[in-house]
Amino acid sequence: MKNTGIAKSTALILLLVVIVAVVGVVIYMSLTQPTPAQTKTSPTTPSPTTTLPTTGAATTPAGKTAIAVVYDIGGRGDLSFNDMAYLGGNRAAREFGLELKEVQSTTEADYLPNLRTLAREGKYLVIIAVGFLMTDAITQVADEFPNQLFAIIDGYVEKPNVLSVLFKEHEGSALVGALAAMVARYYNYSAVGIVLGMEIPVLYKFEAGYYWGVRYGEKIYNEKTGVNASPLRIIYTYTGAFNDPARGKTATQAQLGMGAGVVYNVAGATGLGIFEAVEEYCKSQGKTQGPPFAIGVDADQDWIKPGFIIASMMKRVDVGVYEAVRRALDYYAGKISTYGGVLELGLKEGGVGVSTLDDLDTFLKIAIQAGRKDINRDEIYAKVKAMRDSLPSWIWDAVKNLEDQLKNNPEAVQVYGLTFADIASRVPYSSESIQYVRSTLKVG
Amino acid sequence: MSASVKLEYVSYIGNVLLALITGLAIGAIIISWGGYDPISAYRGLFETSLNIADPYYLAMTLSYATPLMLTAATFAISARAGVFNIGAEGQVFMGALGAVVVASLKLPDQLYLPMALLLGILMGALWGLIAGLFKVLRNVNEVVVTIMLNWIAYWIVEYARIYVYYDRYRPEKTISMPRSGVLPVLVPGSELSASFIIALIVTIIIYLVLWRTRLGYSIRVVGIGLKTAKYAGINPGLTMLYVFIIGGMISGLAGALEICGRPPTYAITTGASNIAGLGFAGISVSLLGLNHPIFIIPASIIIGALNAGSRGMQIRAGVPLEMVKAVQGLIVIALAVPGFTYMLRKWRIRKALRGETGD
Repeated sequence: MKNTGIAKSTALILLLVVIVAVVGVVIYMSLTQPTPAQTKTSPTTPSPTTTLPTTGAATTPAGKTAIAVVYDIGGRGDLSFNDMAYLGGNRAAREFGLELKEVQSTTEADYLPNLRTLAREGKYLVIIAVGFLMTDAITQVADEFPNQLFAIIDGYVEKPNVLSVLFKEHEGSALVGALAAMVARYYNYSAVGIVLGMEIPVLYKFEAGYYWGVRYGEKIYNEKTGVNASPLRIIYTYTGAFNDPARGKTATQAQLGMGAGVVYNVAGATGLGIFEAVEEYCKSQGKTQGPPFAIGVDADQDWIKPGFIIASMMKRVDVGVYEAVRRALDYYAGKISTYGGVLELGLKEGGVGVSTLDDLDTFLKIAIQAGRKDINRDEIYAKVKAMRDSLPSWIWDAVKNLEDQLKNNPEAVQVYGLTFADIASRVPYSSESIQYVRSTLKVG
Repeated sequence: MSASVKLEYVSYIGNVLLALITGLAIGAIIISWGGYDPISAYRGLFETSLNIADPYYLAMTLSYATPLMLTAATFAISARAGVFNIGAEGQVFMGALGAVVVASLKLPDQLYLPMALLLGILMGALWGLIAGLFKVLRNVNEVVVTIMLNWIAYWIVEYARIYVYYDRYRPEKTISMPRSGVLPVLVPGSELSASFIIALIVTIIIYLVLWRTRLGYSIRVVGIGLKTAKYAGINPGLTMLYVFIIGGMISGLAGALEICGRPPTYAITTGASNIAGLGFAGISVSLLGLNHPIFIIPASIIIGALNAGSRGMQIRAGVPLEMVKAVQGLIVIALAVPGFTYMLRKWRIRKALRGETGD
């Protein structure tokens, strides 16, 4: 009978599938360290933010016992936005006695179904979308579920039930600008650079903050060392793309050729080319670590090319997620009358900052927990530590000092006739206002 | 349909059920191995996919089935001609790009939709034609050519997305289809748009072409053997070229429909991630559906249900996506096994037949 023939070979192949699957699972399980995902141990949070009085589960509205975090397609283990969002969600869940529900997306076509499914469950106090890629999806569900609270990290959606968590990137950029200037001067370079993605107004505040920081760093360096060198040249390049490492690399090579000692990445994935260019440049001179250095952006990128990225301007997504949950609780408790709007997080709120060794360690830990097996934690940590230690500690202290100043008294210091308050007051930047800042701070 | 063919289909359905049970069982072992509850995981899977009580999840399932139905039809019509065409992936990309090109133009409102679908179909057909010409004129293996064309299409789309058709205000995506060019949503508040109906009609048309037209007859005869075809007065080269072109048209349409018919963005997004993988998923759908356009319809709904249900497994049962994907991959492989053996057996019989005729 031919039919039994099919059945037989089907059964045979199925058996093969079973064997392959079992072997695969055994290998997978033996590779994975025992990390039962259900009981994710919460790593120590590096957060410097002040711990606020725990609101407690008592004030959560009836039935709303959980928070949901929807990751973008990068997923967990990205050592970036998604891992930070997990950190923040985990902390909020622990402190407020809520359940944390994590949802990953396979493709961008999953964002809307994921958000809708969560909203339909009705038990989530707030649903948090990680990253601006979910802007359209959040806009749509926010209309469909007017009684559900949402938050979007690093994106802007104008709906009464959506909290848009944004970051004061100009503040963080000023800090890394100061660091860049001092590092460049310390190693006798004549210029610092910044490589950007597409020329869109959102990037102007990175530019403005960075330029101001560079001029401030120079000033401090002169005061500290008594050497009055000629001012650093500041080079900026718009690559025209956020997704093209090759262009980032060429732009960086050009800047290094013009004498840049530090190059700041404000270009998304294009920035991977910046790191590569810096590493290659150093290696061609027989160095195993910078100078020259790159500066990372958004997340702690120091691990990507350890020894060649002096620090990163971090957007603290964890703080954003935590604050969104807190705000939702306050709203339900009647402490605030409106939930939606923009929550801008700066230095004061711990929303932006310069990466530290502790941050690095936290990220490496949770990335390994999330299943990244390609990461050698000890080696990366040692390299980054050696790099940081090669700078005199007063430079790091000066950056810290600037941070305190920007937090408490941004009008205090003037460079080239501009205080940091002047820089901050121009947000959101237009092409005219960035032109003004560029020419005043002698950029280009 | 003769009695023996009917019997074969019945036995096939039995085999698929056996495969499904095997897949679910292994999946359950893996889930419980990972420390999760397989019962609640599978309940989550079904509750958020083929849940009769909740039209939203049914709609979601159908919306995921829509592009798969078309890319499966591409594979199926080629397989019927004995061609292993895995170029649907690249043709989807080109079709989506065609729709985006139309979205970027200034047109009268009512022209957006027809023009987008038309250009999508044309660009998909072009991509199929290139592969077909290589196969027919130079006898280059179609697997190699289509794989390479898939990558070329991907990078063309990426280039166009980043440098040409990007949204000025949101450069992470391309220009979106204007609202007037968007297909209506069938179930309010769901992702299911009229593109499902279009896909259904096209799939049925492909069935009619295969079994009710002279071209379809030629395709099936070419599938039996080139000598046989020549003996019957059929030009195998031309027939294969038609297969590639029609296949490209269908997948190009699938790409254009993803742009015109999937809320909320109606554009190609970062890394083309919203249109990636549809072509390859179509292959398993086609195998599951015995490369038969009518069987492809339920097959695409089964795979669509797995896609939709991955949410339930994550949200209701707390199974992480990596494990969801592993389990679902297993189920899909298990499901494709009977169809694959069926196809192999058919090819063996044909080979034997060809042997007899001295092919």
